[in-house]
Amino acid sequence: MAKLLDKQHYKCALGAMQTVQAIERALPILHSGPGCAQKLSESTGSSGYFSPNIFPCTSINEKDVVFGGVKKLESTIENALKVIDADLYVVLTGCIPEIVGDDSGEVVSRFEDSEKPVLYAPTAGFKGNNYKGHEQVINAIIEQYLKKSDKKQKGLVNIWADVPYQDLFWLGNLRELEKLVSELGLTPNTIFGYRRGIENIKKIPEAEFNLLVSPWVGLTNVKKMERKFGTPYLHYKTLPIGATETSKFLREVGKFAGVDEAKVEAVVKEHEDYYYYLIERYADLFLENRVINKQFSVVSDAHYALGITKFLANDFGLVPAKQFVVDDTPKNVQEEIAEEFKKLNYGLEAEVAFETDGYKIHNEIRKHDYHGYPLVLGSYYEKEVTEELKGNFLNIAYPVQDKVIIDDSYVGYTGGIRLIENIYTVAVSRFN
Amino acid sequence: MGELRQIAIYGKGGIGKSTTTQNLTAGLCEHGKKVMVVGCDPKADSTRLLLGGLAQKTVLDTIRDEGEDIELDRILKTGFGGTKCVESGGPEPGVGCAGRGIITSINMLENLGAYTDDLDYVFYDVLGDVVCGGFAMPIREGKAKEIYIVASGEMMALYAANNISKGIQRYARTGGVRLGGIICNSRNVDRELDLLRAFAKELGTKLLYFVPRDNIVQHAEINKKTVIEYRPESNQAQEYRNLAQAVIENQDFVIPTPMTQERLEEILMEYGMMELADDYKI
Repeated sequence: MAKLLDKQHYKCALGAMQTVQAIERALPILHSGPGCAQKLSESTGSSGYFSPNIFPCTSINEKDVVFGGVKKLESTIENALKVIDADLYVVLTGCIPEIVGDDSGEVVSRFEDSEKPVLYAPTAGFKGNNYKGHEQVINAIIEQYLKKSDKKQKGLVNIWADVPYQDLFWLGNLRELEKLVSELGLTPNTIFGYRRGIENIKKIPEAEFNLLVSPWVGLTNVKKMERKFGTPYLHYKTLPIGATETSKFLREVGKFAGVDEAKVEAVVKEHEDYYYYLIERYADLFLENRVINKQFSVVSDAHYALGITKFLANDFGLVPAKQFVVDDTPKNVQEEIAEEFKKLNYGLEAEVAFETDGYKIHNEIRKHDYHGYPLVLGSYYEKEVTEELKGNFLNIAYPVQDKVIIDDSYVGYTGGIRLIENIYTVAVSRFN
Repeated sequence: MGELRQIAIYGKGGIGKSTTTQNLTAGLCEHGKKVMVVGCDPKADSTRLLLGGLAQKTVLDTIRDEGEDIELDRILKTGFGGTKCVESGGPEPGVGCAGRGIITSINMLENLGAYTDDLDYVFYDVLGDVVCGGFAMPIREGKAKEIYIVASGEMMALYAANNISKGIQRYARTGGVRLGGIICNSRNVDRELDLLRAFAKELGTKLLYFVPRDNIVQHAEINKKTVIEYRPESNQAQEYRNLAQAVIENQDFVIPTPMTQERLEEILMEYGMMELADDYKI
């Protein structure tokens, strides 16, 4: 029987147009029905270069379904190349042409000799959600654009972490990860955001290793790069938020890259000193605030659920209630990710549910005894249920409706401080 | 004039669906029936014998070239004995979605008022393998309620017929579609009549008519005519008239009971076909 999925926390694979948008001067070309981009666009912060949701699109109709849409696709690419000045064009397909069987890959391959690269990523909605779509775009870059390089640049590290725009903190997070990695004496290379773009994409095969900071998204990409370019990868599953995890992160990256241990420890010490100086200055507030919660739940993709759970348990001293991972995590990695939730300090373990149905999640939150006000960090969908339970709520994951994030970040030592600020702001404003 | 009977003809590719349908149609015309034939095959060769050639433009060609704002007479042509002939048409081989094409063109025929009150029969001549939902369009709600499967004594023809019955069974559960019988288009294989009777019985239906093999059919096709038009006095013309009579008189409509592959092979074995293949000697 068909299931009703209430309040899903993601979009379809074609949502990967946001991944393309996050690459400077890259343009999505859509081979889809006319409404897809409009429905999927929520890319606050993607104005400027081209448009948040108006792209070259084949806008296929019934006639194209019957006779195939490949001619229209070819002319749409041709004209996009003529009138839109971009560095990279990525053709994304919606459900219709993929069901009908349009050979979009073949059409795109006719543009192999064009002055600017044109790539093809199959992103039909039935293939999965926009986390999968994101991986398809990166795969397209690896498979169709990049070649193995004999030249390896010492210390160059490709960093892969957030799914741009799905995670509104993507820009700030990537910049912070770059900063941390460069403090170890390594040279970070990322492809998303300001002044990265095509030049950084070209450097990907020259990297010494890939650093994937994510529980599962992007794993297929780094594995593909290992096979094609011979680039090894470090899979760091937890988004480092706050001192405990960030220090661990620096040590692991340092070890993997062969950075001198003393150097790593010096970087860690410098950061931790300042971090705990800040915490100490607010110790009285933390100790005496009577409305801060005892237990918390995170409702988000695995990336944030894991990162925030570890931070709140290890650094913040809260007890994890059940955590909810809503990104439709592939079944084969669920167990491995659930294990990560058990690796908390003070002998704590967090129970985790891989659940996409908001209705079921909200009922579980209602049923749980949080020993006081619950603290819920989640999507905007969780605001109402938290208010109903008189809890404290912070909107940290898609969909984000009640805050504007420009280049804010929760990553690293500073990111941990930002998250503490945000949570305590909610707490202190409760009776003020 | 009785109630409109909408009939879909299915069967393995190349079995002779189009030839049988058109000769049957010619037979019905001689009985004074008003018939429309809707070709549901991208090859658009379902009305060639009635029209004396492939000249007409298909529904989908017309939609592609002229849009949807067209008159019915652009796509509906009159053929032998006043039959109305339409070809759904479809995309070039290997591109697009022919199944959706059939849905589009049948919707178009309805919108343009092709189903007039004076019609006694509408035939849908459907591409051999019902590969997707589009090819089942003619037997969906409100369309054909009667189905005939064209088969022969060859194993693959029976295999296809059994498969098609599975599709009919599915639609029969929710709609009014029923199997009216098997029409054998003979290939002169051993004990064909007995085999077809046994096969039809196993499916819960009957062998409606056994059309013998005759080269005159081939001659008529080369001349772009039905046998009834080409050699009205021939024995084969009379066979098709008899087939038409059998369709007119048929009142046995059933939900088929498709068999397993094992059972199908058992029946074939029983009638000697499987063994004969091994005994073949030069």
